[in-house]
Amino acid sequence: MKWLKSPGKMAHKYSLHVVYFCTGCGIIEIPPVITARWDAERFGVVPVATPRQANLFLITGYVSVKTLKAVIRTYEQMPEPKYTVGFGSCPINGGMYWDSYNTIKHLDKYIPVDGWIAGCMPRPEAVFIAVTHLWTLIDKDMANGYIRYRKNYAAYRKNQETLFGELGWPPLYQESATSAPEAPSGHLPRSGDVRIKK
Amino acid sequence: MSNSLKGKLESTFKGVEMTLLKDTRAVVSAPKDSIVAILEYLKDKGFDHLALVSCVDWIEQNEFEIVYILTSYMRNNTDYSAEQWLHLFIKTRISRDNPELKSVTGIFENAEPYEREIHELFGVYFEGHPRLIPLFLERKYEIPPFRKDFDTRKYVKDTFDSIPSVED
Repeated sequence: MKWLKSPGKMAHKYSLHVVYFCTGCGIIEIPPVITARWDAERFGVVPVATPRQANLFLITGYVSVKTLKAVIRTYEQMPEPKYTVGFGSCPINGGMYWDSYNTIKHLDKYIPVDGWIAGCMPRPEAVFIAVTHLWTLIDKDMANGYIRYRKNYAAYRKNQETLFGELGWPPLYQESATSAPEAPSGHLPRSGDVRIKK
Repeated sequence: MSNSLKGKLESTFKGVEMTLLKDTRAVVSAPKDSIVAILEYLKDKGFDHLALVSCVDWIEQNEFEIVYILTSYMRNNTDYSAEQWLHLFIKTRISRDNPELKSVTGIFENAEPYEREIHELFGVYFEGHPRLIPLFLERKYEIPPFRKDFDTRKYVKDTFDSIPSVED
């Protein structure tokens, strides 16, 4: 029945194409996850070549200020719907880098995050638990990070600019888009809708 | 084994002191003016590999210590001399108030990123360096962040913690 009600949602659920962002030590858990030992493809989780083909963004490890710039760029390139999961304790609150001069502490101040995997390091099984949780969230329309990003884009952009000064690329959404998007009911907003041409 | 080197170094350069730590390790402390000459001399002697340039902040003595680590490739495995096993640590102290030193990129080209790193993280100026531009850091810091008087917790509080959460 689920398939008949919202086939698009079910398709998104069972074919999560992941861009693994190798920021820190967390990436060491990813090769066993995607290869024969734990085999993420059982869950429809497949690594892809570029962020433009992906819809799940896994940030594995600490995010330094310089990396955050790349994280934001990568996130903005991904087509919607897109989901973000922070992997390990460092993106959550800084982890062991809580007093580092060069590591951002809370990733969700700069891009929206749908779920967290706590631990240092999380086991590969935790990725699958996160994926199954994400299925539930997608079913309930709660994995709505990309909608929140549109809605609060001005605030996110302000935070990003506080850190970097000048970001070096124009805003992804126009100011008027802050009030436009609603929660999707069957229709999913496309990322090309209100994009500014460079 | 390296007593001959010790004698040669200490007689050639003024104010140079060489101490053997182990059979294969020795520390050479030198004044900052003679660093370039010493490295050139040692390169001629066969220490042709600069493994590392590093910096230590001795805040109580108000000094930076720059450390150059030199080794040699063993070109001829059947007939290497004992000196080719040696790791040399060449150390020099410079004032913390006006940290300046001559660049050694003319002798060892691979010193370039090390010196850039030290310039960025400790604020030491290297005279004659071809491009002393930032290497790692994205933000500007009032005090270079690896100095001991850089208060990381205050910095984190002022910078990262002051950014508000976007939602709830």
